Amino acid sequence: MQFLDLTIRELHNELVKKTVTPLDLVKEAILRAKADNNNAFEYIMEKEAVEMALKLKEPEVDNLFWGIPFAIKDNFSTKDIVTTASSNILAGYVPVFDATVVKKLLDAKAIPIAKTTLDELAMGGSGTTGHLGTTFNPYDKQHEHLIGGSSCGSASSVAASVVPFALGSDTGDSVRKPASYAGLVGFKPTWGRISRLGLFPFATSLDHVGYFTRSVYDAAHLLNLLAGRDVEDATSSDIPVDDYAKLLNTDIKGVKIAIIKEIVDSIYDKSINAAFQKTIASLKIRGAKVEYVSIDRKLLGALFPTYVVISCAEATSNNANLDGIKFGPYQAGKTYEEVMSKARTKGFSELIKRRFVIGSFCLMRENQDVLFLRAQKVRRMIVDKVNDIFKDYDAIFLPASPTPAPKLGEASDRLSDEYLIADNHMVIGNFGGFPSITLPLGFKGKLPFGGNLTAKPFNEAKLLQIANVIEDITGFYNLSVRTAKL
Amino acid sequence: MNFEAVIGLEIHVEMKTRSKMFSSAPVEFGAEPNTLVSPNDIAFPGTMPTVNKQAVINAIRVANALHMSIDNTLVFDRKNYFYSDLPKGYQITQNRRPIGSEGYLEIKTDSVHRIAIERLHLEEDTCKQLHFSEYTLLDYNRSGVPLIEIVSKPDIRTGEEAMKYVEAIRSIVIYADVSDGKMEEGSLRCDVNISLRPSGAEKLGTKVEIKNLNSIANIQKAIDFEIRRQEGLLLTGHPIIQETRRFDETLKETVTMRVKTDAVDYKYFIEPNITPIKLSPDFINAAISSCPELAQVKEKRYLEVQGLNERDASIILQSKDLSKYYDDAAKYTTYYKSLANWVTGEVIAYLNKRNIPIENFFISPAQLATLVNMIEKNEISNKQGRDIFQEMLTNSTNVKEAKEKLNIGTQINDDSVILAYVNEVLNAFPDSIKDYKDGKDRALGFLVGQVMKRSQGKVNPGLTSKLLLEELKKR
Amino acid sequence: MKEINKQVLKDAAKRLLFDMSEEEYDTLLKEFDVITKQMDLIGQIEGIDDHEPMTFPFPCETAYLREDIPAKPLSKEDALKNAKNKTAGQIKLPKVVG
Repeated sequence: MQFLDLTIRELHNELVKKTVTPLDLVKEAILRAKADNNNAFEYIMEKEAVEMALKLKEPEVDNLFWGIPFAIKDNFSTKDIVTTASSNILAGYVPVFDATVVKKLLDAKAIPIAKTTLDELAMGGSGTTGHLGTTFNPYDKQHEHLIGGSSCGSASSVAASVVPFALGSDTGDSVRKPASYAGLVGFKPTWGRISRLGLFPFATSLDHVGYFTRSVYDAAHLLNLLAGRDVEDATSSDIPVDDYAKLLNTDIKGVKIAIIKEIVDSIYDKSINAAFQKTIASLKIRGAKVEYVSIDRKLLGALFPTYVVISCAEATSNNANLDGIKFGPYQAGKTYEEVMSKARTKGFSELIKRRFVIGSFCLMRENQDVLFLRAQKVRRMIVDKVNDIFKDYDAIFLPASPTPAPKLGEASDRLSDEYLIADNHMVIGNFGGFPSITLPLGFKGKLPFGGNLTAKPFNEAKLLQIANVIEDITGFYNLSVRTAKL
Repeated sequence: MNFEAVIGLEIHVEMKTRSKMFSSAPVEFGAEPNTLVSPNDIAFPGTMPTVNKQAVINAIRVANALHMSIDNTLVFDRKNYFYSDLPKGYQITQNRRPIGSEGYLEIKTDSVHRIAIERLHLEEDTCKQLHFSEYTLLDYNRSGVPLIEIVSKPDIRTGEEAMKYVEAIRSIVIYADVSDGKMEEGSLRCDVNISLRPSGAEKLGTKVEIKNLNSIANIQKAIDFEIRRQEGLLLTGHPIIQETRRFDETLKETVTMRVKTDAVDYKYFIEPNITPIKLSPDFINAAISSCPELAQVKEKRYLEVQGLNERDASIILQSKDLSKYYDDAAKYTTYYKSLANWVTGEVIAYLNKRNIPIENFFISPAQLATLVNMIEKNEISNKQGRDIFQEMLTNSTNVKEAKEKLNIGTQINDDSVILAYVNEVLNAFPDSIKDYKDGKDRALGFLVGQVMKRSQGKVNPGLTSKLLLEELKKR
Repeated sequence: MKEINKQVLKDAAKRLLFDMSEEEYDTLLKEFDVITKQMDLIGQIEGIDDHEPMTFPFPCETAYLREDIPAKPLSKEDALKNAKNKTAGQIKLPKVVG
């Protein structure tokens, strides 16, 4: 087996045994990246990665990430490496500082080999709106199926085994949804658990740093590395960092898992329902208590519009710094307004502009009460209800998506007026800042789909414990296009 | 018809903290453009704000000096708008919950007026724009510098009251060590909101805003002019246009800057990058108790405890550093009036002549106090004191050395000793006695001088005069 | 709430400093239609206005304030290296009036 087809854990062992070197890995990763035809990459850091790899001589036995290649979603600030957030308004922007998570990985001697594509400015869920066009799902060589978004490139690169892990961001499910479509572990911890310094903001109160791996073990250890207080991120938590792998492979007897009836009822796909029920049955056999709970349909129906209103409103403000004056392409004009206007008209796609108008409208003085503030009230109602559930249960388990990866042309980024509960329930994880993980559950034909597990804030160790058991039940450890028996 | 001016002032104070409000970039004045910029100040994507502790402490100090309620939770809002000097496209400020609310300031014109103050809040400064004929240049050094905004209720009625109000605020922020308070340099900025209404009426007139005032004197001039202008319009039945005006120094008039359209909608919402910060009672109390003494407190002490007159007090308080010098000296003497005379007289004269600040004044407060004590205890005369003073400055010595160098002995205050000299002199100069009796007052001075000469300047001149007169009467 | 029509949306876009095509405004109107219908339904949720608006996902008050110690700023070159229009160490714009 090729080394890059391994998980971080196995790859680390090979590096320690010196059966492979960081340079070997980097060269192979770059080859795979260049050969990749899924449009997953904004920029391949060939020169930089090789330079870093050459400096690594003696493997660090206790450092899981030493010499491991990885990819970074292109909305993370990387020093001296062009970062565009897949938007033309940031074409050619070269940051002068690294995001905190990038710094932590560099300090651990992991080697970034590429910046990956995303839906423009992370504001999308289809993987089709980045300025380089659609990113495809490596599970479908015909390129008929999407991989979702907004972290499309990162998902694609890990599913295609270009790298064993990749950074992403999750504001409404932008790591956990593509993880489902790409058969990956897609994880985001509690809000504020990982520093967001250097992550280009979409909707600050919903944004999380997240990532893709091919095993729960890898996800747990990556959290150990990335979690922690950053004084430069005022929202990062000073709750002490735990050992998030400490409960892996321990007994889940007595663990209580809740299933939200209304959400499961809104999913009609037979393969997904079958795999989901099978997993529940196995969990019960392992000693977990699995029960149905109920959330008022009206609240669930409010999830999507609430998310649209809050995220568009915050996004409008967060992207007001993009004007071509300090960075990005400059458009000459007769007045400063013209300069800014031309840059923003040219640089933003139409979809983004529509989102901004919606967001701005929701914040207007005459509208705030019934739009923005009311959405914030519903957010509280939803979060209160979910916290109630967590008083009696350790985790909530649900199918991550109502279908496997949708076909290109099927999904629409134009807001539809169906409630789409099944398609958007994972935004609960963003509303309440709950740690949440998607992991593969099964296949429908050649396309994978996942399950989603959510726990209460700062309970990552418990969450990962249960996820690890599910991984054991399904057997989908290190699932990728290359390892899937299709 | 009589009109009443209804005036409210909005003052922005630039704080002289060491770092910026929401970033750690240094705060310095006069640096080369764009050399005091952190990624945050130029709004690079992915940057985040962190709140400056000293800025919060400063805000608490000023709010406390203005008798305001202090909110014990710090919450910020975003004020969203586009402008060339606003890199983020929004300013982080406090809209909903200002750190200080509902206070007041007392000013004295013909009588004491209480001006209510609505709010005091923290926010960040914009970048600096340098305008040329065809283009504008942006310098981000100032972007993010901490600001306090103080908004008064419209209780001010005249240009003079406005001037006193601004002077009082300036004094507070200077003495509290919060700001340099220099309008000419932009570290204190004042916007005026003014409308007129018939005396006794309740309804407010159309509001005019006056901006870009660059001195306290101009605030008064601008308001005085604007009141006359609006009165003139109203009396002739013309409407007041809601607009922003500026003060033209050459014309000594307010002129239109731009007509106000609808009030801008800033789409305020809570800043999600800063979780609410709890200010403990200990923190707030420490901020208040660590505040340097304000001018008002010093003035009370000068007038009520130390017995200085208003003139001396106000001269000393014109400069924070001068008042510090005086206060330090006052630790070593109780002859406050004399000390004040020296400070407002000889010391200031010397500083002005040499054009140096009090920080560079050679004579330490303790040394000046020593000198004052010696004079007041009659160990030396006033003139001898001045000689010692000059000697200390010229040759950079202390009191003791200067006294020795000038060979100034301890002053003779003994009546019998002086009397002996007096009689000696009177016996030696009978013509002078005759001159004095003939009405030539100069003779007295001559005789005093002779006594001084014979005693090597040691006799107490006042006593000498007195005894001479008594003896002259007898002869 | 403000009435939603094309003119209002065009005005909103103008204030955000960009233009959109006519077709996009049509699309946007349809999207607004969906949102307002949904928000209306939300407005009918029992007791909704009894709740406080939620900005942060959970209670997260802190006592942390940054010490007033200046850190090394960016070099002038780094601060300006991404700016395309500059001169004499400053960013250049057409003359700003008003």
